[in-house]
Amino acid sequence: MLPLKLLFRDWRGGELALIATALVLAVTCVTAIAHFTDRLSRAMEQQSLTFLAAERVLRSSQPVDDSWLEEARKRGLQQAEAVTFASMVAAGDQFQFAAVKAVSDGYPLLGTLEMRSAAGAPSRHVQQGPPPGEAWVEPRLLPLLELQLGDNLELGDTSLKVTGLLDREPDRSTSLFDMGARLLVHVDDLPAAGVIQPGSRVQYRYLFAGDDRALEQYLKWLQPQLTEHQRVIDLHEGQPRVASALDRAERFLFLAASLAVLLASVAVGLAARRYGLRHTAYVAVMKSLGAGRSKVLAIYLGQLTALTLMATILGLLLGSVIQSQAVNLMADFFPVEPPPSRGSPLLVGLATGFACALGFALPPLFRLARTDPMQTLRRDWSNPDRREWLGLVLGPTSMLLLIWWLSGSLAITAALFAGMALLVGGSALVNQLLVRGRLSSLGGAWRIALGSLQRRAAFNTLLIAAFGTGLLAMLALVFARTALIDEWRMQLPEQAPNHFLFNIAPHEVTPLQTILADKDLTSTEFYPMVRGRLTAINGIPAKEYKQDQRNGEPNALRRELNLSWTDNLAPDNRILDGEWWDKTDKGVSVEVELAARLNLALGDMLRFSIGGLEVEAPVASFRSLDWNSMRPNFYMIFAPGTLEGFPATYITSFYLPPEQKLLVNDLVRNFPSVSVIELDKIIERIRDTIAQVSLAIESVMVLMLVAGVLVLIAGVRASIAERLQEAAIIRTLGGRRRLLLQSLMLEFGLLGVAAGLLAAAGAEATLAVLSQRVFELPFVFHPTLWLVGPLAGALLVGTAGTLACRSSVSQPPLQVLRELA
Amino acid sequence: MSAMLRAENLHHRVATSEGPLTLLNNISLQLARGESLAITGASGSGKSTLLGLLAGLDKPTEGRIWLAGEEITAMDEEQRAALRARCVGFVFQTFQLLPGLTALENVMLPSELRGERTAAKRAEEFLARVGLEHRLHHYPRQLSGGEQQRVAIARAFASFSGGDGILFADEPTGSLDAGNGDKIIDLLFKLNAESNTTLVLVTHEQRLAERCGAHLRMDAGAIATADTLGDNDNLSEVSV
Repeated sequence: MLPLKLLFRDWRGGELALIATALVLAVTCVTAIAHFTDRLSRAMEQQSLTFLAAERVLRSSQPVDDSWLEEARKRGLQQAEAVTFASMVAAGDQFQFAAVKAVSDGYPLLGTLEMRSAAGAPSRHVQQGPPPGEAWVEPRLLPLLELQLGDNLELGDTSLKVTGLLDREPDRSTSLFDMGARLLVHVDDLPAAGVIQPGSRVQYRYLFAGDDRALEQYLKWLQPQLTEHQRVIDLHEGQPRVASALDRAERFLFLAASLAVLLASVAVGLAARRYGLRHTAYVAVMKSLGAGRSKVLAIYLGQLTALTLMATILGLLLGSVIQSQAVNLMADFFPVEPPPSRGSPLLVGLATGFACALGFALPPLFRLARTDPMQTLRRDWSNPDRREWLGLVLGPTSMLLLIWWLSGSLAITAALFAGMALLVGGSALVNQLLVRGRLSSLGGAWRIALGSLQRRAAFNTLLIAAFGTGLLAMLALVFARTALIDEWRMQLPEQAPNHFLFNIAPHEVTPLQTILADKDLTSTEFYPMVRGRLTAINGIPAKEYKQDQRNGEPNALRRELNLSWTDNLAPDNRILDGEWWDKTDKGVSVEVELAARLNLALGDMLRFSIGGLEVEAPVASFRSLDWNSMRPNFYMIFAPGTLEGFPATYITSFYLPPEQKLLVNDLVRNFPSVSVIELDKIIERIRDTIAQVSLAIESVMVLMLVAGVLVLIAGVRASIAERLQEAAIIRTLGGRRRLLLQSLMLEFGLLGVAAGLLAAAGAEATLAVLSQRVFELPFVFHPTLWLVGPLAGALLVGTAGTLACRSSVSQPPLQVLRELA
Repeated sequence: MSAMLRAENLHHRVATSEGPLTLLNNISLQLARGESLAITGASGSGKSTLLGLLAGLDKPTEGRIWLAGEEITAMDEEQRAALRARCVGFVFQTFQLLPGLTALENVMLPSELRGERTAAKRAEEFLARVGLEHRLHHYPRQLSGGEQQRVAIARAFASFSGGDGILFADEPTGSLDAGNGDKIIDLLFKLNAESNTTLVLVTHEQRLAERCGAHLRMDAGAIATADTLGDNDNLSEVSV
């Protein structure tokens, strides 16, 4: 009872409000961010799975055994089927190749189809394809076939009524089966159509969704039975670009939550330290009145437990309300409604509350229990930091363990540890500089400010570390977010090519170039392409050659490769070793990852079989490239003059604005042998998803910045009383207000600069580890960080400190002294 | 009359950066129940250190102390705290009231630490005895210096759980003006006489020392003189 009674009295006296506020702040921030990240990451996951229209897809070139599907049904999984192939469709006298997709009931399992029932009607989301006997078509197929909605078209031997315009399908792919305008039909119409014959190039996609565990068990059962023509695809394989963006975003959100823990810990640590100092006299008196160490400890542990529980509950409530309001406010920006909150983020908040309390508030309380009662007689209320190691070890350890648990990433934990270690080491160094600095040559405000800094050098070390942590968290987050979003923007620039043309005959190159130029469309180079097989390396036949065959990588020795030649190195290509054709005139440039898999060295002799003829060329260079650049790219680029004798077709890519989409029809009509791959819809969807992810990141960052500023304020408050007293005494002795104000601004400004510089160093170290180990981005040095850090530090800490202490300058000094007494 | 307080050959040294510093050197004394002792001396003579050791707030480097018949130098910190909770009261120069607690709650604190259920009633009685029954729910900052010291005196007497009590006062008038100081001293001696408690006080004030039955004057950590002041015949109990 006594701890609770004292807790109540302490609370009323305002002492405990400090630590309680910090705890509530900590739990609120972490809970809000954990909720927010949990809901967003689940929303993103749901959104991303719609790229497959399912959670997993079994892809096969043949229909699979019915028993496999039966087994899925038995295990309670949802299942649907999609068959894709290219086929000629007809309407009256018009014929056109179309990318046919025949879907079963239930398709799509995830995501929606966007279609219109009339040309001018708004697009609507539907969760099933056309019924048997009907067809939905991509709008540009209508003019190609001179059709209207409601007319019939012929697919093989069957006639289907066109009842819808298909604007978007969740799982449109870039494969050869999806070339041409889309025709969506019901799978039950396929037998009557008779378009699928033995030997037809068809892709069967079996879609699965359902309980995670059941799905996992089913795939475990299925995997051993798959042939080499069958594969189970998840998001990473289906849409690696989206998967990578989501992975990185998720890691970013975990990083943000970890930084929230870091900030919260610092806030609680500062508040607990201040509480401990202010209670030294309290405990000394209690001890002189007969309270032993164990009694004092029991009282304060009881208080801390009750306080932590209350603050945590309040923080959980506030955090939940804030995140729900934040999600509501941003609802319009998210294409997918985030799923409802669940319990796990509350657990994170609870753990944060207790970890912060135990890790950061417990050591000052242990120190309190060791207070010497003789202090009542000496009237000395300093709280010597004996056994400070407990605080130094317990706090950071509990914080790092919490971050590790929260982020699930040793790399994030290590990165933050590295940044913090640098920051604390730097703070100690600054302390030494402060203690040894000479002030005799300084005058006025500088002398007062630096004198104050010197007198509190030890505490200032802690304060710089605390301010530095707040700034580090903010800087690391802002720069990590910038790096991620820039990377995504670079990957998908506004006018990235969104259409590929291939199978272009040599005589079609110039007319096509003319058409594109007439329409103001910029294409990449028209690359010649010859199909060939790599048959031997240094005379060793390919069949006998041992290669580093990584899981899932294409086997370059067992299939035909697209071989090209050009003088111009594409912008996304880079020669890493060897020479390009400006320095040598023979050989072949090999993509660096393929070269690594084949264990190639410069000068190795490669033999190719092209149309029955053999060509040999030495490896002239290794070349890196960006497969995501939306440009034609090649594993092998020959020196001009090597392959010109072989019959070649050409390939190019270009950006086609949506309003010029019907140009595709002209191209298809005028160049019937040229194949068009339309990536615009996919790029649009990827861009939407990445915009959503970016928004999530931005909003979490704003929350974090608010938390960071609160920590700075907590730091200022922790040091305010002594400064107020000094300022009041100086004013009593005749110090002018302006002088005091200047000295306060200087003192906090200098603390901010020191904290900002150290935070920049810590953030640079953190970002170095994060970029390489967590975000898989190249290391970049950030010169602006070193400018922004000290500036932001001076501005934020200087302003917060001066504002907090302004009462000492504006109020009569006697009033300040009386209030402090 | 049996000894309430006894000290034998006390030595106290502390470690400093310049080597060990002797604070007390060979102090012995004895005080009977219900009597009063004034300890005087210049600043730094060791009087507050001696007070702290006699009250069991710290342990001497050498020597033995008995308080209320129990040897506190043989006790650990917890045992000494338990003894203080039973029979030791303190009055400090700067009052040492807890700022977050009202006058009543400050006086209740010693009883609450002992787990007594009647803490509030007992505290009200003591506050009435020091004339502050109308200031029960005021915080220290709302009280004058003299009133704060009266609350501290009430708390000190509330510290005794019955039986023998010994009150240690460290410069009890040091923060008060002469008028208030006199009133506080009158109150202290009045309550001391009513409760038959033993009183040990440290003071700079000669007139205060003169009201005590025995007087030790300290110099450089040792007893310089030990006198009987007034007509008290208990000087024999104080041995140098």
